[in-house]
Parts: sequence; C-alpha cells; structure tokens
Amino acid sequence: MKRTWTRSILVYIVALAFFAGLATFCARLVLNNEAWVQQPYNGHTAGSGGLAMAGKIYDRNGTVLAYTEDGERKYHDDYLTRCSLLHVVGDNSLNISTAIQSLYRTQLTGFNYIWGLGMPESLKQGNDINLTIDADINRAAQEAMGDQEGAVVVYNYKTGELLCSVSNKTYDPADPPEITEENEEEYDGVYLDHAISSEYTPGSVFKLVTTAAALEYIDDIKEQTFHCSGSVEILGNDVNCHSVHGDISFEEALSQSCNVAFAEITLQVGAEHMQEVAEKMGFNSNFLISDVPTAVSHYDVTEADDNQLAWSGIGQYTDLANPMQMAIICGAIANGGQPVIPYLVEESSSIFDQLGLSSGGGELGDRMMPEEVAKELGSMMRYTVETHYGDSTFAGLPACAKSGTAEVGEGEPNAWIVGYIDSEEYPLAFAVVVEHGGWGLSTTSPIIDATLEAAILSLDADAQ
Amino acid sequence: MDLQIVMDASVVALRILLPIYAMVIVYQCYKSMRHHRRAEKPLLTLEDVFTGQKYPVVFWENSIGRSKRSDICIQNETVSRDHSVLLRREDGWFITDTKSKAGTYVNGKKTRGRVKVMIDDEISVGSTTLAVRRGSEYSEEIKPSWYFSKAKTKPSIKQYKLMILITVFHLLMALAACFSNEIQDFRPLVVWGFLTALGWTFFFVSTVILKRVNFELEALGFFLTGLGIMLLVRQVERQAYTQMITAAMGMVLFMFLIKFIENPDRVKKYRTIIMIGAVAFLAINLVFGKIQHGAANWISIGSFTIQPSEFVKIAFIFVGAATLDQLQTSKNLLEYIIFSAVCVGALAIMGDFGTGLIFFVTFLFIAFMRSGDFKTIILAVTAAVFAGAMVLKFKPYIADRFVSWGHVWEYAQTNAYQQARVLTYTASGGLFGVGVGNGCLKYVFASENDLVFGLVAEEMGIIVAVICAIAIGGLVLYSRAITTRSRSTFYSISACCAAGLLLFQMALNIFGATDILPLTGVTLPFISLGGSSMISCWGLLAFIKAADERTYAMRRK
Repeated sequence: MKRTWTRSILVYIVALAFFAGLATFCARLVLNNEAWVQQPYNGHTAGSGGLAMAGKIYDRNGTVLAYTEDGERKYHDDYLTRCSLLHVVGDNSLNISTAIQSLYRTQLTGFNYIWGLGMPESLKQGNDINLTIDADINRAAQEAMGDQEGAVVVYNYKTGELLCSVSNKTYDPADPPEITEENEEEYDGVYLDHAISSEYTPGSVFKLVTTAAALEYIDDIKEQTFHCSGSVEILGNDVNCHSVHGDISFEEALSQSCNVAFAEITLQVGAEHMQEVAEKMGFNSNFLISDVPTAVSHYDVTEADDNQLAWSGIGQYTDLANPMQMAIICGAIANGGQPVIPYLVEESSSIFDQLGLSSGGGELGDRMMPEEVAKELGSMMRYTVETHYGDSTFAGLPACAKSGTAEVGEGEPNAWIVGYIDSEEYPLAFAVVVEHGGWGLSTTSPIIDATLEAAILSLDADAQ
Repeated sequence: MDLQIVMDASVVALRILLPIYAMVIVYQCYKSMRHHRRAEKPLLTLEDVFTGQKYPVVFWENSIGRSKRSDICIQNETVSRDHSVLLRREDGWFITDTKSKAGTYVNGKKTRGRVKVMIDDEISVGSTTLAVRRGSEYSEEIKPSWYFSKAKTKPSIKQYKLMILITVFHLLMALAACFSNEIQDFRPLVVWGFLTALGWTFFFVSTVILKRVNFELEALGFFLTGLGIMLLVRQVERQAYTQMITAAMGMVLFMFLIKFIENPDRVKKYRTIIMIGAVAFLAINLVFGKIQHGAANWISIGSFTIQPSEFVKIAFIFVGAATLDQLQTSKNLLEYIIFSAVCVGALAIMGDFGTGLIFFVTFLFIAFMRSGDFKTIILAVTAAVFAGAMVLKFKPYIADRFVSWGHVWEYAQTNAYQQARVLTYTASGGLFGVGVGNGCLKYVFASENDLVFGLVAEEMGIIVAVICAIAIGGLVLYSRAITTRSRSTFYSISACCAAGLLLFQMALNIFGATDILPLTGVTLPFISLGGSSMISCWGLLAFIKAADERTYAMRRK
C-alpha cells in the first residue's frame, strides 16, 4: 500500500496545479477588476440605473453638470450647455468611452472591488468629481460652432486646467437619440470626442513646426529672402501657393502663410531634422489628458522624396494633427518651449478617490523646443496677428496665432486656428478645427472670438 | 427611509456573514474527517523465526517481498521482489502468493490461492520463515503520517451539529433570495424546506438505519448541492426541484455503491459485466444520441434526457481499481487501455471533448496508480496531443475557441461572449457578492452549468466561490492522506482517482469559464445544474467514502 501512496503523487500534482491556476485567476481578478467591470453590457452599471447613486460632476465654478435625483441621472438645465459638454461629461450609456461618466463610472458610483457593484442604493456612497472645465466657455464655443463639425480646445498654459473642450457632432445627453441603421449617417462619429480622439490634416498650422525647425537648424534663416511666383516645381510636380507673394522674408512668409517659401525652408531643414523637431513636438506619439490618451498624430518623412518633404512642411502629405496636441504646442511656445500638460479632473479631497483616479495636474511635459526658438516663434505669431488677423479676432486680447486651411481629399478644406494669448491675466492656449470649414481664418475667427470673449468673463470673475 | 437603511444594512451584514460561515462549514467538515481515528499501531507483527527480527504489519493489505518499496521488505535473495500479499478481511487474515519463484508456505504447506493465517502460524517466503504474532508484540513507535499525527479518537464535532450548521447556511441563502432586488416573495423558503427535508432524511438513513458514525463527507456534498440549488431558486425555480430530485437519486446511488463495493474481492466478478455495460451504454448513446449544443452526448427516455457518459465515469473508476493481490498478479494494463480508448473514442465521436479529456486524465491517474510506470504515461500523453491536434483540424468550432483564448475583450461579442460575461460579473460581485438572486450572469446562456463558477462569484462573492473550489479540491488531498488507511488498494486507488476526476472536471469548468483554459462544456461538481452530473458526482463520492476505513467498521457497533 506504500506504493499506492507514492503513486498517488500524480493526482496530487494535478491538484497543486489546480490551486496554482485558481490563484492565478484570483490575482488577475484583483489586478483587473475595474477594467472587467467597465463593460458596456454590464447589467449592474449600464443605463441610468448604473448611475442611480452616482456622485455629482461639477465644473470649475461649482456649477453642477450632472447629478442624480430620485435614482435618475440629470444634466445641466441649459440645452446648449448639455450638448457642449456631452463629450466631456458623457451620457447614461457607456458609448462615449472617453467621457467622465464612462471612464470614471466606477469611481462616480463608488465602486471598489471589496464591495463589488451590489451595495444597496441607500448605502452606496457615490463620489463627486470636480472638473476644470468652464460650462459658460463651453457653451459659448458650442453656440459659435453651431452645426459645423470639429473641435474647440482652450486651456490655461500656466496651470494646465482644461477650460473648454467642445466636439461636434453632438446630441443632448438628457434625450439621447436612438441610433438606427436609417439615421446612423446623421450621427456618424458622434461618440468620438474630436478634441482628443480625432486627427486632422493640419495644413498651414503645421508651419509652426517648420518655423521652429528652421529657427533651430538654419543659422541665417532670418536674413534669407524667398521668391514666390505662385508655385514652385519640385521633382516635376508643383507645390502651389494660394497667392503670388513675390520676394518675401521669413517673417512675412509665416504671416502670409506662403507655401512656396515654406517648401523651400522645409527642404533646407531636411527630412532628418524635420522628423526630429516634429517628434519633439509630439507627433507620432500622444499625451495623457487626465486618464485619456490623445489620438496619435502623424508625421513621417523617412521615405519621402523632396516633393513630398516640401508638402509635409506645409502640413499636407501624410501629416495628421490632433486639436489637443496643437493647443499643447501653442502652450509650449507661450511657456518658453516646455508645455504644461492639460488636465480635466481636479484634485480630489477624498482618499478613496485617490486610490483609483488620477486627478490634479499641472505637470510639465517634455521640452518641445529651445527657449530662444519659442521666443522667436512667439513673436512671429504675434506679428502674424498684428499684420493680418487683428486682435479683434481674439476678443481684443494680445494673441499670437496661426490659421490654416488644410486641403483634404474630398470637399472643402479643414479650417484651423491655433495660438495663445500673451498675457499674465489670460494665459490661454487654444486650437479650433472645423471639418470642411473652408477658408481657415474666416471660418474659425467667429468661433475663437466668441470663445475667448466668454473666457475673459470667466477669468475676470475668478480674479475677483 | 431609516427603516430602509436598517434593512439594507442587514442585507449587507448577511452577505458578509455567508463567506465566513461557508469557511467554517468546510473547515469543520475536513477537521471532522481527520478526527475519530484509531491510533497508529501495528495490526500484526511478523517475527523472523531465525533472526528474531520483527516486522510491523500496519496496513490492511501488505506486500511482502525483496523490493525496497514492499510494505514488508525482506532482504533475502531467495525472496522474489513481489513475493506475496498479506491482507486483512472481515473474517481474518489471509496470505496470497503473487507468482513468486519459490512459492509461499503456511506451516510448511504450499499455498494455492488465498490461505487464511492465524496467530502463531508460520509463513515461509523463500528461505525466510515468519511467525505471525499479535500487533501488541511490536514495541517500537511507529511514526504516523502528518494527517494522522494529531488525530484524536473522538469526533471533532457532533455530526448532527454539522448538519445544523449547513441547514442554517442554506436558510440564510433562502432569506437573502426572498429579499432579492427583482422579486420579493417567500418561495425560496419552500425550496429550502424541501432541501432540508432531503438532507436530514439522508442523515437519518445514514446514522440511524445504516448506523454510520461519520457523516462529514456526505455533509460536504450536501452543503455544495444545496448551495447550487438555492442559487437556482431565483433563476429557474422549477429546476431547483428537478435538481433536488436528482440529488436524492444521487444519495441513493451513493449508499448503494458503498454497499456494493463493501467486499473488494467480490466486486471482481462484476468487473467484466460493468465494462461491457458501460461500452454498451455509450454505444446506445452513439446510435440514439441527441445533439445538444454541439455534442451528441444525450439520450432521451420519455421526457427525461440523460447523459450516459456521466454514469460511465463511475464504471470507469470501478473497472480501473483493484486489490493489492490482483495488482501484483496481473500487471498487464492492456485490457484497461483498450476499455479507456473505447470510452474516449466514443466521446470524441459524440463531440464531447471536455468529458473525453476528463476520461483521459482519469485514465492516466489510474494507469499510473496501478503500474507506477512513467513511460506509459508519457506515451499516452504524446498520443493524446496528436489526437488533440487532429481534433482542432477537423472540428473548427473548437479551434475558434482557441483563437479567442487570452483575447476575451476582443471577442466579447462573439467567440468569448460567455467568458467576457463571467469575468465582468465575477468582478462586479466583489468579495461578498451582489446577493442571491441579484446577479446578471443568470441571463447568459449556460450560466447555471458551464458558467456556474461565475454565478457563485457574482451572487455570493469570490470568497464563497473559492471556498467551493477548495472544498472539492480538498477531496484529493484527503483521499491521498487516507490512502494507507484504506481497507484495500481497491478503495485507495478508486478514491484518489474519483477525487482526481472531480478535481479535473472542476478545473475544466472554472478555468474554461474564466479564460485560463480554452475549453467549456463540463459541469462544476455538485453545484452545476444537471441531473446526470449530479448523480454521478454522488456516485464518485461513494468511492471516497469507501476508502475511509471507518465507513465499514463503525456500523457494527
């Protein structure tokens, strides 16, 4: 019988393997429970019921953006404000995956693994979340955007607080549409937060990157003069300009957005340095805004010929930029080359929140350009506003900006404006993009004007 | 409003209580198995009449031979490696020669077959002669195995108290179900009433009519069975009653099997009949099988559907086990290999690969426990790997499951639909669960059998789910610990392999549902809904019960 005992070792080993497997599962459960719980089909959280005891969401002024009353989730009173905040706050569903109510649902409802999702309503302690967003600025931006598709981003480049983030298309979270096969075209992309998750051809706003590269790598760039006769032939193909600029200086080339001059400048900088400078400015990578990664932007000239390189320097070719990233670049210029990364969720006082929730911000990102380059670039952007756009476009504030009209395959070009306010009182960096909006400046200027107007009111109220 | 908070607070308090309570129950069951044991003392002493050397006889079946791994090792060239077997039965001690060269003699007379030996008889093996003395004549201490090192002769808990503990546990589950979120009524209490009646009847029959002193193994099985039934109340109430009826049938089978294998020598006669019966049963299944969920492993008789493979499991263990003298005389595994191949092959044709794998692994357990031959095992595993590769090639739906293995979230709406739900709802349950009847997994197909681990974890919390797994897995450790205390290797082999089978089946169930392994389609022993499975689990438990030497001894008192 001793032998029988010895030979039972096989069963014993299998049993040990089983217990090891069980331990593996438990470890996975402990490590991943939040991710496992946050599935759109989860019957315990999906629908309004899942938010039945969720905490409130406040904006920076203490305005309640979302709250629960008698087991029902309610949103801000004003229709336009609700629509403007859809992609920031989210709705009852988990469809907008980057919104606070999706991403932080477990924290809002007070989920922790020990108690699971089964706590009776009366004992649930939902956590409140404070955002850096200003509902009034957001509303103003939404109103100015109207039905145009695109995004508006405004943030404080000193503190990193994200003040305004609007994404169109949108809908009313208090009355979400039922999206069926018939109307899915109308709502195409509505669940995407364009400010953070989309990427667009940048067009002329990319000239800021090229300018920075030129300032860094071409010693006599400021002494050079370029000649624009409306187009230039490179490797048998034309690079076109929107106008005939004749002889033009470096500074004028940026302010008048001369494609011919910038094609020349890009070729002078060369593919290697263009690539390096673009990547330092966040191309081909992304940023984390609170817990949400921005879409990965794109700049790749490693395989490009000279014609393509020239086009890339004026924001065409395969270039893609994300609105949030463009605002961060402008923030970096304003800050002397190093950006403060924007954030959305305010620091929370509750110790429980801090366990799972990354809140607060104001962290410095990697340096994007040398300080002198930032300074030169800033003054060139200022010159552009002074000579071409006028401060009136920016609610009378001393803006440094660059507009862009990005040709896209079909339809009207994308309209852009990016920049910052060079002011201690109003340290704002911004980016506006309107899909198929047409001419950059004329399309975007009413939007950025109205948005900054609201921002002045809000910051003035803060200061008092 | 305040009343609401008090109510809710007590609901939560109950939820926290249940895991702790479950832990106590399982602990008490296992603790009780260890207690109430005889002290480790020799049953007989064998004394070498020439040298005076004394050998203690501590087991019910003892091999005598030159081999170092013999229970009684005699270092004498004239003794064969496995010379003979000295065994104890109800009516005394016997010796059997197991094809030794020199033969075995009792009082100078050559033995043929099993020969009874009495105190002071002289047994000759080779040139060694051993006199049979009483156990008390061996004066040295025998070190007991760790399991029995602290064993007391008194039971650790009165068996009726154990039953009360379990009954109250089920009652608390029923109360929790009464106040579930969606439906509030007292129907769960009715189910509980029937369940309790069933459990106590079983207890009464076992202790009063059959006069068995120990009930802890049955109590453990009843605890798990009841837990599964109480979870069913808010899912498909009618099924809770069906499950109870099959549990009752399982308990009857349990008692019948213990009686049937009471004499390990007599059952040998039935071995061939049972083997043929099992193959015939599977053949009927193959011919008349009904395809359900991709496997044709069901047959219908009237309005009942049964799963023959579940019953064949019992036959499989039964056929595989043997007493020590049988093991030593016929070392040939061929017959058993053929029988196993037929069973596994039939299951493969039916498309029931989960059960086929269980049979295969059980075959490995039995083959190794009988022969101790690693080469056979490696050969068999290699063959199985090839067979598995063929299966993947010809049964694409199984390969599909492999594709989504480890990528649950990418396939959450398709191939890994069930696994994704199990993970989500397991995590939603937390440590203490969302409460009986409040789960969402119950709306997912197969949640009451294939995915039941997730259901337990969601409604009662991961602690209870893990305790259930430990309770079933612990049977292996228990079976192994009592191996040398069994009345025959027939019991110890069958107990270890039955426990191993239950454990492996549970592993497939739990790991399949939680994406640790890419397999689904088998039940969680005792807890899953499934009549045939429930009956076979109780049948397998009978082997473990029979391996306990107290099972047959105590009842005479």
